[in-house]
Order: sequence, then structure tokens, then C-alpha cells
Amino acid sequence: MQPTAPRKRLRTILRVGIPVLFTVLLAGCLLPPDPKTVAGQDVFNLYLVVLALAAIVFIGVEGFILYAVFRYRRKPGDDVLPEQLHGNNKVEVVWTLIPTVIVLVLFVVSIMTLNEVEARSENPGVTIEVQGFQWNWNFVYEDGPTIGPAGNEPPVLAVPVGEPVRLILTSDNVIHAFYVPQFLLKRDMVPVNENGTPNEIEFVVSEAGTYAGQCAEFCGTDHAGMVFTVNAMPRADYDAYIAAIEDGETPPTGGGDCETTIDISANNTQFDIDEFVVPADTAFCIAFENLEDVRHNVAILSGSEALFEGSFLNEAGSIIYEVPALPAGDYTFVCQAHVQAMAGTVTVTE
Amino acid sequence: MATTTLEPRAGSYHRSWVLDWLTTVDHKKIGILYIVNSFLFFFAAGFLALLIRSELAVPGVQFLDQNTYNQAFTMHGTIMIFLFVVPVLAGFGNYIVPLQLGAPDMAFPRINALSFWLLPLGGLLIFSGYLFGGAAAEGWTGYAPLTSDRFSPGVGTDLWIIGLALVGTASIMGAINFIATIFKMRAPGMTLMRMPIFVWTILVTATLILLATPVLTAGLIALFIDRNYGGSFFDPAVGGNPILWQHIFWFFGHPEVYIVILPAMGVVSEILPVFSRKPLFGYKAFVFATVAIGLLSFSVWAHHMFTTGTVFLPFFSFMTALIAIPTGIKMFNWLGTLWRGKLILATPMLFSLGFLSMFLIGGISGVMLASPPIDFHVQDTYFVVAHLHYVFFGGSVFGVFAATYYWFPKMTGRKLNEPLGKIHFWIHFIGFNLAFFPMHQLGLSGMPRRIGDYSPDAGWTILNMVSTVGAFMIAVSIIPFLINVVATLINGEPAGDDPWEGNTLEWATTSPPPPHNFDRLPPIHSERPLFFLTHGHGHAVERPEDLVEEEIVDEKPGDVERRPKDLV
Repeated sequence: MQPTAPRKRLRTILRVGIPVLFTVLLAGCLLPPDPKTVAGQDVFNLYLVVLALAAIVFIGVEGFILYAVFRYRRKPGDDVLPEQLHGNNKVEVVWTLIPTVIVLVLFVVSIMTLNEVEARSENPGVTIEVQGFQWNWNFVYEDGPTIGPAGNEPPVLAVPVGEPVRLILTSDNVIHAFYVPQFLLKRDMVPVNENGTPNEIEFVVSEAGTYAGQCAEFCGTDHAGMVFTVNAMPRADYDAYIAAIEDGETPPTGGGDCETTIDISANNTQFDIDEFVVPADTAFCIAFENLEDVRHNVAILSGSEALFEGSFLNEAGSIIYEVPALPAGDYTFVCQAHVQAMAGTVTVTE
Repeated sequence: MATTTLEPRAGSYHRSWVLDWLTTVDHKKIGILYIVNSFLFFFAAGFLALLIRSELAVPGVQFLDQNTYNQAFTMHGTIMIFLFVVPVLAGFGNYIVPLQLGAPDMAFPRINALSFWLLPLGGLLIFSGYLFGGAAAEGWTGYAPLTSDRFSPGVGTDLWIIGLALVGTASIMGAINFIATIFKMRAPGMTLMRMPIFVWTILVTATLILLATPVLTAGLIALFIDRNYGGSFFDPAVGGNPILWQHIFWFFGHPEVYIVILPAMGVVSEILPVFSRKPLFGYKAFVFATVAIGLLSFSVWAHHMFTTGTVFLPFFSFMTALIAIPTGIKMFNWLGTLWRGKLILATPMLFSLGFLSMFLIGGISGVMLASPPIDFHVQDTYFVVAHLHYVFFGGSVFGVFAATYYWFPKMTGRKLNEPLGKIHFWIHFIGFNLAFFPMHQLGLSGMPRRIGDYSPDAGWTILNMVSTVGAFMIAVSIIPFLINVVATLINGEPAGDDPWEGNTLEWATTSPPPPHNFDRLPPIHSERPLFFLTHGHGHAVERPEDLVEEEIVDEKPGDVERRPKDLV
């Protein structure tokens, strides 16, 4: 073996490699997504504890291996045997205790978190049967509508924010799994025989928004396409959403983080509505859709003073305006390019 | 039994070398057949892995439609586990165990040949689904009821079942053979606690195979009945229970993990002492840890089923966490072996150090998965894919390459080229981490496993691309390895009997060994008979009579009653 050339090369590789590795580790951070449920936050916190323990073990052991490779590398021509150490009972007892303590701590905190995740309320705010089939979803609301796949869009699971949502997970075909990464939760949807009961999960969404979900148990050809969207909204919006579906209307599309979203479209130099109502002192959204290649916007006026001016759509398209909170009162909304033809009333109620 | 190999030496009459290899019952030739056969399946399954990674490099369906993609990952997993990792380690066991025991052959040479020849047959049956309308496409775990004839009517699934049953039968026979060999064929003086650690790991592995694989075989037969004769074991529509399949599969499947990792641990535990020029730190603790892992491995299977909602989570979580203790002991034993050693960083040692550092990551992510709430998030995502590849690939496959570089000189009489070996190692090591480390983050971000397509909005694109680049680096690293093997076979550096100053008996005979393995054996006072032959007990002066080689040609090896008393 050549004396020092490979060693130098190894050192160079390690000098470059280790910082790169750590950069990758830190940049990736190895974290789950921001949890959007109450129990998800507990799982996230548990994960941080476990990750910290893992990092200590990782750095300790890998560090020792690297240290040993440099420190104890045989010098060229050194034929003297090192001390023939066969073991050391004291040391071995100690290093049996180290992993024992680590895994016991891990076990205890895991079971504590598990109890949070598995907690069930007496009266969930809403109970929905989630039916998985090859390869899509039906969401069957207790005393309510069934939301299934519509066209190519993933089906939407509408749930209220801030109250327990119970899902009954069923399948009458193969095994699927209900999984929403931002809830840090999944559970298998197992087809059961006459003696079995389906799995149930429960969660409290802590933040309104839309979250991607997907089947996580391989279920055949189009498993990858078996996706859905969770739309979590405040109770009032949720009720309106469900009511709209029961009436056979297109449910209001979610407006991101807005508590209230008003849909307005423009065509033939006309708005499709001539009035809408929003709560006072609360920011809301306007989902504005321009159906023609004519320049339109939406602005809210108090007399002639513009309280809000939405940016213009110069051609067909859509935009979501975020409108700041307004005091209670009556206002008008207009298209500032067609103030006469396109106008309506805004009622802001207490 | 053992007397069959003590017949007149080969070469006394002529026969074709093809016929010779096809009909051989020599454990060394069978071992080489195992290894070559396993590597061929490794390349086939590796090719499938490249297809999978190419498809996943960017979002969208590129060139594998969903069905082809599903077949690809099913075949990749099945072949890699059942026809590469398990048999390649069994192959090294076949070649090395009788040599390390000082035995002339395995206990049952003809059964040994049979258990090898069932492997290519089973493997080809599994693959032959491609010729009959499509290979099995339900994942290597074959979860019911997706595997029922209602949802997977193709004959590929039946071929998969039959092939696996054959491969399983082969490994059951192999396991019996190993156990008989190890208990009955040890050289005089080799007590159980003087056995090389590799033999210990093979013994525990064989026991696991013997207890676990029949369960899988039974499950496969039940599944075959369900599919073809209207059975109702697993299909809930006719009163069966799909979770029963998962219990059966994982009761086998989790010991299976240790079946593939224990022999690799054994390989590393042979190599680290030789290349640190020290004994294994805590040999006894290591043996007990190996046995403990074997025992515990039968009480953790349901940690693969945390999200089914049908298992008692605290028990299986606790038992799984317990396995970290003997595994941790082993890790410390390896580190203790390096401590104050004089490390020689030849290729076998590099792959062994690679094993330590990569298996550690697989072990850590395994402990994370043992926590049910965390498992609820990452189960069936790429986090699990990363974990299992750090165990199977970072662990077992690094062990396989360490074994290949370490024992190649014994098998062929020639040493693999060191610079090429080091090039292989570094490309392999870096490629492996590029391919599999990003998968941890992909899984944490929610990317499920077994999907051929993903949304460009999911934020998984960059990491998938990195992973694909890594996969191709692994493939590239195989090129210097193959060149090395071919060039060495043609014109390699002669190795001599003992190129690494080894500790164990295989280095006491010629390279390659004669058909009957040994003309004479050194005395055996410890797990390192060869070290003691060269260096004596520690540095103390040797009793001269201990250094006299004993003639054993006329002695029946393994005949315990005739073992000289002072050697027991």
C-alpha cells in the first residue's frame, strides 16, 4: 500500500464531503410538514425529540468511526501488533445501558403522544364515512350529502375547523389508506368481513386551508392517481358549502385563508350578482373571474371614495382579491372601467 | 455423509467442466454457483431499479405506464430480497462455513445442490410472468385482497407464488444443512464459543429461516388455494380476513430482515478484527446479542402493521424498541474493535466501515419507525423506502461486497485489484447516499411509496432527481467492479493462502482449497486459531506442542467423542 497518497485523498474527500453532508442535512432539515391539526402538533413535537436523540447517536457513532479511521490508521511499515483487547465487562455493561435508556425514553414519550392521537370525543362535530375504491374516494356525510369524484378534479373532503372530525374508513374492495401529510396521520382502510369493524380516526383541524391527501396503501394499477383534497373551513362556510352541495349547486371554491369568500364573475360587461353581504370588521376575499377579453376589476366604494381597488384583469382569467376589514354599513362595488354598467351593493353587517 | 468428499482427488478421470458444475456437490462450487446466480439476479433487479428511478426523476408518466411500473417495483423488491440478498449471503455461508469449521463439506452435499438448483428455477418462474401477460404487480409484500383473483387475475401472480414457494423451500433445506453442519462437523477443539462469529451469525440465521420460512410457504399455499380453488382465507367478500395475510407475511417478513442482515454483520465482524489487527471486542457479548436479536425478531412483526388499526401498539412498539439494545451492543463492539487498533483501509475494510456508517442510519430510522405516532405519518412513504434500503443496501449489500473483496482471493487464488476496488467503493458509497438519503425527506414530506407519478406541485421533484442521479451512480460503480473481477480472473495478483493475515481456518488451506478442504488443521484454542498459530496466546510464549500441526486426514471431523480432551 502506498504510504500517504490514498490517505491524503481520503482526507480531501472527507474535508469536502462532511460539510456538504451537513449542509444537505441542515437544508433538508428532515422535518415533516407544518402540522395543521391539534394532534399533528403533538406528533411533530414528538418527532423533534426523536430527531434530536437520533442526531446525537448519529454524530457520536459516525464521529467515532471517522476519528478511528484517522487516529488509528496503521502507519506504513508498522508491524507491531496493537494491544489484543478482548473486551471489558464494565464498558460493555455501560454501553448496554445507553441504548436501553434511549429506547425506554422513546417508548414512554411515544405512548403518551399515541394517547393524544387516539383520543376520541364523545360528540364529534361531524362524522364522515370515507369510502375508498379503485381508484378514488367517496365522502359520505352523516345526515348529509355524498361527495365523490367530479371529472378529473380530486374529490374534496370539506371539514370544519376547530372541532373534532371523525372519519369512518371503509373499503369493499382492496386495502387503501387515508393519508393527509399535513395532518401527520394515516390509517388503513381495510375491507372487513361480517365480523370486522372499520377503522375510525378523529382529528381537529387547527387552521383553515386546503390540504392534499392521497392513498398510501398500494391498491393496484392507478394507485398513484388516487388523490383527494381536504378543504378545512370555518363552521359557517362549512355549513354553506354542505348546503350548496345538497342543493345541487357548485359549492363555493375555497379562498385560501379567507374566512369568507365572495364569488363574482364578469361577462358581457355585466357582473353576475348585484349584491352581497359580508361580516363587519373581518377581512374577506373576492374570487373574481373575468369571462371575456375585456378589461375588468372589482372595487368597493363608499360614495365616490374607493375603499378597495382590485387590480385589473385585462383579459379572461381569475384572481382572488383579499379585501381588508370594513366597518358595518352599505357600500357599492363596481368595475372601475365600467362604473355605470357594472355596479352592485355591498352590505356589511354587524 | 462427510466421507463422500474424501474420495480420490478430482482430475483422476476426465469430464466436461459444464457437466462438472451442473452435477457438483462440492460446497465450494455450490457456493460459487449461489454467488454468481445471485449477482445475475442482482443485475436484473438493479436494471428494474434504474427503470423505476428514471420514471420518477421528473413528474408525469414518461415511459412506464402505471401497470408496467407496478410490475417493475414488485419484481425489483421480490428479486432483490429473495434471489439476491438472501442467497448471496447463503452462498458465502456455503463456501466459508465448512472451511471456517475445518470441515470437508456441508453435512448433506446432495441436498445442498438441490437447494441451490431450486433458486434459478424459482427465480425464472417469478420472472416468467412477463411472458404470460405481465408479471406480478402487487408489491413484494403481496397484500390481500389485492392479490386475489378478483383484483389480480393474471397468471403472473400465480407464478410469483409458485416461484417464491420453491425459493422458500430451497432456503429451508439450506438452513437444515447449515444447522447440521455447524452442530456436527466442527473440527476437534472448536467448541461453540470458539466458532468464528460469521458461523454464529449463519447459525442464528439458519434457525430463523427454519422457523419463519415455513410460515410464509403455508401462507403462499393458502393464497394459491384462494386464487385457484375458491378458498376463503384472505378475501373478506367470502368471509376471509386480509389482515391474516399480513400477520403471516410479516411473521416471516420481519425475521427475514434479520436473515439478510445477520450474515452481513458476521462478515463485517470477521473483517474488522483482521484489518484492525485486534480481536473482536466482546466476542461473547456479540454472540449473545446475535441470539437475542434472533429471539426478539419473532415478537416484532406487527410493527409493519401499526396503521392497520388491528394490533396492540404498545406491545409491538416496546418489543421493537428492545431490538435496538442488542443491535446497539453490536455497534459498540465494532467501534471497540476499531479502538486502538491499527487499521488497514483495504477495500474489504472500506466496505465494512461503509456498512457500519450506513447500517447505523438504517438502525436509527428503524427506531424512529418503532414509535407508533411517527409511524402513522411516515408508514408507506419514502421514509420507509429509505429505511429499508439503508438496512438492506447500506447494510447487507455493503456486507456482500465486503465479503466479495475479502474472500475472492480464497475462492480464486487471486486478489482483486485495490485501486479499482477503492474506485468502486467511493462511487458506490456516494451514489448510495445520493439515491437514498433524500428519500427520508421525501417520505417526511408525504410522498407515498409505490407511485409511478406525482404532482409537480408537491415539491418532490428536486429530491427525486437527486435520487435518480444517485441510482445511476450505483450502477456506474458496478462497472469497475466487473472489470476488476474479469481482469483479476484473467491475470490477477496471486493471493497466496492467507493474503490478509486472517484469523480463521479458511486461511489455513490453499487458495482455492482442494476438494477435501484441508490436509491438516492447526490446533484450535479460540475463535482465532490462525492468529494464535502466528502470534501465540497474546504475546506469551507458546507451548511448543501447540504449534505442531495435527494430522487429521484419518480422523472423522466433528466426531466429538474422539476430540482430544485438552482441546475441548
